[in-house]
Formats: sequence, structure tokens, C-alpha cells
Amino acid sequence: MHPSFHSLQAGDAPPPLVCGPLTRTQFVRYAGASHDFNPNHHDEVYAQASGNKAVFGMGMLAGGYCARLLTDWLGDGSLRRLRIRFASRFWPGDVLTCTAQVTEKREEGGERLIGCEFSAVNQNGEVIIRGDATAALQL
Amino acid sequence: MDPSAAGMTFPPYEFPVERGKIREFADAIGDPNPIYRDPAHAAASPSGGILAPPTLLRTFLYEPRAAADALQVKDWSYIVHGEQEFEYYAPILAGDVLTARDRIVSITEKESRRAGKLQIAVIETTFHNQRGEKVQVARRTLVETGKRISE
Repeated sequence: MHPSFHSLQAGDAPPPLVCGPLTRTQFVRYAGASHDFNPNHHDEVYAQASGNKAVFGMGMLAGGYCARLLTDWLGDGSLRRLRIRFASRFWPGDVLTCTAQVTEKREEGGERLIGCEFSAVNQNGEVIIRGDATAALQL
Repeated sequence: MDPSAAGMTFPPYEFPVERGKIREFADAIGDPNPIYRDPAHAAASPSGGILAPPTLLRTFLYEPRAAADALQVKDWSYIVHGEQEFEYYAPILAGDVLTARDRIVSITEKESRRAGKLQIAVIETTFHNQRGEKVQVARRTLVETGKRISE
């Protein structure tokens, strides 16, 4: 069951979604699924020659995790807008924790909308991505 | 980047949203939701069919490269994907055929203490389905840094 528009208040949050420890295989799988073939995400030799300690994960993979947190919480097809800002990198072995909370409620264009903000942080509390979203909910 | 590319538009391109791609993408983000893979579950849901996950369409923005090429980036290793935004107007279902239109919205400059002079490009892609309905708009922000960003 997803929350109704009336039941949600600013500050309400879903249970966090924990992803990881992440593996190189997960990065490669996302590369194939998403067509993101930037070698920094799958070619360790290239990534290190470019000054990175290892391959690093795609920001949109973390974005996919946060989008899942939102659709699990608010319902399939509820999103009206999603904005992801890429803040830092994540690496093989990292554990990302995705959280979200309601920031506002409003009615607009015949829809009952809630605004929320979300982030994914690593095991040291460093923000990897942050963003905001709007979803339309039932009464 | 070439600031005069701002405002440019590009030829539309068409692609199918395949059921197998949706499942592959959902698997890659670790999302077990049956709406992305189970036709019976999906048929009984409000969408009536297998849905595209919210971030799927970024997948279709790597080709063609006309808009990216128009930015005239000298070295893509100086480019950072700063932000990605989606606006959702109607559900996208497995079997839909989408037409995408790219537009370079803006190219602006900014000084950064950490990364030198920045150029910031916003590319917007508007997607319509096979019935001509606008289903989604995606906006990606690409930042060219004055120096290569690494640890």
C-alpha cells in the first residue's frame, strides 16, 4: 500500500534503501543495460591511467536506486518530475544508502502533488547524489 | 564548448521501448518490481502494461550524437555530467515507439575555485509516443571543467 496525499506530511520518509557493497560486475551490468560505455566505469586500466583509484559507478546507477526508493514508496507511475544532481563518486565496495523525505504538498492542474528531496550517501556519510522529485498521489 | 551551439535543434530519431530492455534495465538497478517484468501483473495494474522505469530514457540519449557533437568538446575527459532531470507527462509502456527531439537549451560560463572556468551546457530531449502524445522530457547538464577532475 502506498501513502495517500492526505496521510503524508512534510518530513515523512520511507524506510531507507541500502545498496551494496557494490561490485564491478554491477557497474558492468548497468553499462550494458544503460549503454553508458564511458571506460572509467568498466576499464580499470583506463580509469587508473586517468588518475582514478579504480573504476567508479555511474551517477545514473545511484539515480536508479533513488528512483526505485521513490516508486516503491509512492507507487508506480506516480512521478511527475525527477532531478538528480551528481555530487561525488562511488567505488567498488561502497554501500549506498538512499533516503527521501516529503518537503511540500500542493494541488495543481487537478493533481495532488507532493514534493520530496532525496539523496544517496556512502558508508562514510558522503553525499554521492542528491535530488528532488514531484509525485502525484491519490486522496 | 562552442557557445554559438545554444538554441540548435537536431533531426528527430525513433526507437522502440522493448520489454526485454525494460527488464534488463530493472535488473541492472536491482529493482525486482513486477511492473517491469510480469505481463499478467502489469496488465492488471493501472498502467495496463509493463512500464518503463523512471530513469530508463537516459539509456537512449547516447546515440545519435548530433547534439553532443554540436557542443564541439575538445576532450570529453574534461566533461562532467552535473545534473539529469526528467519530466513525466504520460506513462511509457513496453511496445511503445518513441520519437526523440534534441535541443541545446543553453551554454553558459561560470568561475569555479576548484575546477577553473566552467562551461555549462543543457541539452533537452522531448519524447513523443506513436500516438503523438508528449510522454517525457529529459534534460542533461554537461559541465566542461578547466582541468581534468580526479581524486
